[in-house]
Amino acid sequence: MALQIGVPILILVIWWAWSNSSSNPFFPPLSEILVRFRELWLFDKFLSDIVPSLSNLVIGFAIAVLLGVILGLVFALVPVLEELLSPLIHFYRAVPSIAIIPVFISLMGFGNEVRLLVIILAAFPPTWIATMDGIKAVEPQLHEVAKVFRITNAERVFGMLLPSALPQIFTGLQASLQFSFVVMIATEMLGSSVGIGAMTILAQQSFASVDMWAGIVLLGVIGFLSNYLLGRLRARVLSWYDKSKALQLAA
Amino acid sequence: MYVGTEKVNVQTTIEDSPVQAMLSLKNVSKRYGSGPEILTDLNMEVRHGEIVCLVGPSGVGKTTLLKSLAGLHDITTGTIEVNGRVMSGPPEEMALVFQDYNRSLMPWLTVEGNLKFPLRHLKLGRQEVAHRIKAALKEVGLERAGAKYPWQLSGGMQQRVAIARALAYKPQILIMDEPFASVDAQTRFELEDLTRSIRDDLGMTILLVTHDIDEAVYLSDRVVVLGGQPATVLEVVDVPLGKQRDQVETRATPAYADLRSDVMRMIRTASSASRA
Amino acid sequence: MNNVSSRKVALGAAGLFMAVLAWYLIALGPMRESPLPAPAQVFSAMIAMVQDLAFWESLGITMLMAAKGFAWALLVGVLLGMAVGWFGLVGKALSFVVEFLKPIPPIVIMPLAILVLGPTQRMGEFLVFYGCLLPILYQTAAGVRETDPVAIQTSRSYGVGTGEILGRVVLPSASAFIATAIRTAIPISLIVSVVAGLLGGGPGLGSEIQRALSANETADLYGLVLILGAVGLLLQLLSGGIESKVLSWHPSYRKLVH
Repeated sequence: MALQIGVPILILVIWWAWSNSSSNPFFPPLSEILVRFRELWLFDKFLSDIVPSLSNLVIGFAIAVLLGVILGLVFALVPVLEELLSPLIHFYRAVPSIAIIPVFISLMGFGNEVRLLVIILAAFPPTWIATMDGIKAVEPQLHEVAKVFRITNAERVFGMLLPSALPQIFTGLQASLQFSFVVMIATEMLGSSVGIGAMTILAQQSFASVDMWAGIVLLGVIGFLSNYLLGRLRARVLSWYDKSKALQLAA
Repeated sequence: MYVGTEKVNVQTTIEDSPVQAMLSLKNVSKRYGSGPEILTDLNMEVRHGEIVCLVGPSGVGKTTLLKSLAGLHDITTGTIEVNGRVMSGPPEEMALVFQDYNRSLMPWLTVEGNLKFPLRHLKLGRQEVAHRIKAALKEVGLERAGAKYPWQLSGGMQQRVAIARALAYKPQILIMDEPFASVDAQTRFELEDLTRSIRDDLGMTILLVTHDIDEAVYLSDRVVVLGGQPATVLEVVDVPLGKQRDQVETRATPAYADLRSDVMRMIRTASSASRA
Repeated sequence: MNNVSSRKVALGAAGLFMAVLAWYLIALGPMRESPLPAPAQVFSAMIAMVQDLAFWESLGITMLMAAKGFAWALLVGVLLGMAVGWFGLVGKALSFVVEFLKPIPPIVIMPLAILVLGPTQRMGEFLVFYGCLLPILYQTAAGVRETDPVAIQTSRSYGVGTGEILGRVVLPSASAFIATAIRTAIPISLIVSVVAGLLGGGPGLGSEIQRALSANETADLYGLVLILGAVGLLLQLLSGGIESKVLSWHPSYRKLVH
């Protein structure tokens, strides 16, 4: 434990000490970065840049997840849909997600709705595919259980199929979150003057390296925290799964 | 004791057998798609409050018959009647205990949650649900395991949960598919006695599929021997071993030994006939 | 079996046809006034592109950036991953760092990379390297930890040294995990290589897309995106094919297939 925490602290201390006397314009003193971080984000640009970025991230991710789960469910229950669209799905997933941004910008311009739309479009496929796979992998005998006990369709979906597929769905959610995050930044870097991504790339273009570092640190923190929160949620919701797997391994 | 509302007097039901059968199969045949016939011209009945075991050589079509009985798939010809009604789809008075408890229980629900799941759509009052769960867990001897998850329990206890889930549903007929095939011998004896006590306490009709002849003879009021290719009923053997049975004493009686050899001979003939 | 797959092909083809038809109808119907190009325009743009040497050069640069960054990431990731998985101390020392960096994608550090390396091929390679490194490292370490202790103890009892155990027992047994990592890292390498051009001003297809976007040449833009999809698909097929050939012996792989 001491080592686990010690090494990151050591890295920070070395960075601090080394950068303090640094005259390299690309690597300004860490102390300056932190001062700038506070000046910029707490709370000068909070409303103007952090809030728009985060709201795009959260709303885009939420809609993508909803869309992905619904589509995954429908595609798992109506297999002909998957057969019909599987070449298209494969192709869509092979296109680098960032590349769909210019496609939509070329059609609809740079508005915020376009950014949100692109986040959703890039982020829903992992959840969609994971949900579909998870539901198709539901233990066949459970379907018989549901039939014998005359379980209603709604209960079958919400009480059986979705809970059973949750471990896979969460894997999809983690990927969808990554996509939302990357595409959020990308939309801001590609022709926008609002948002943390835009701030950071503009700082880089004007060689304001301290501001750029402050942006990178903030983006890093958001990336880490959002992933961490999702991980905590997963651990809570799927404790039955993790514990039963651990028990299986121990046996 | 289980506090049931429709408790049936076992003794009279068995003797007054002209009373309409709980379950009756008439000229049932089954084939999958355009494949060969699996079951043919199959006739049998299960009376109220009876324990009937279905035995037969492996691969004879026991599972196919069981799935037909449970309404899990349609039969090709003939009829299956439950309480005198021609069946289409799983009947409401029936519950099923599957062979693989670890595949038929839901790992994300606690034991109580598993019992509650099939009850939700019955629109029972909250108190009735709690009461049924408590009574069912008590019947199988798992009063204290309600808050646990199935995978925290031993195999035998998990199968008890599966049985309790079926009991809480309050079926009139309980169908069990090789329910004790994946537990150890000692547990198997306990679960066999549990099965008989469920029938005695609740007056439930039980149809059990097994490949174990000892189990069939020990448990049953009657043994139905399946055989042939396609399969049909070869023989129905009455098992007059009395109401009170004991794993040690009953199995030591000459009557038990005779019945056991009879059934075994039939199955051996059946399997050599189907191989020829 | 044959019946099933021919049905699949037929349905898939029908789906593709319907999609192109829908695109055609939308482009000529409700969105006639918008910059949405019709399929025919895009296809002719694609044909013009593949006859142009400059396009192949861009594609080559993109692939080269992806390949170089990926290769370095594979080398460093496997070595580091084995160290992290094998030596408990290294694992502990790096765990927070790895856990912190894992959810931070290359696009976050891209401004720094541009600042230091300029909008160059090197910058693209570095970002690809960073993007692929952590998944590979993480999976390799997991694979090393999953190695059957019995196999290790058996080798020990025959007097096999640590180096040889790592090379002959642990690495092969972790190879299924590494293969998974490679399969996830290959698409990442392509994405990041394009991003470096599109957002970072680096060379390659990314900058071609950027150029088409700012010049409002939508037919070119759509053509480039479609080609990228085709390249991505090809890479996936390739990595899947190599994996099944190389790993056919591995128990976890056999389980996956059967």
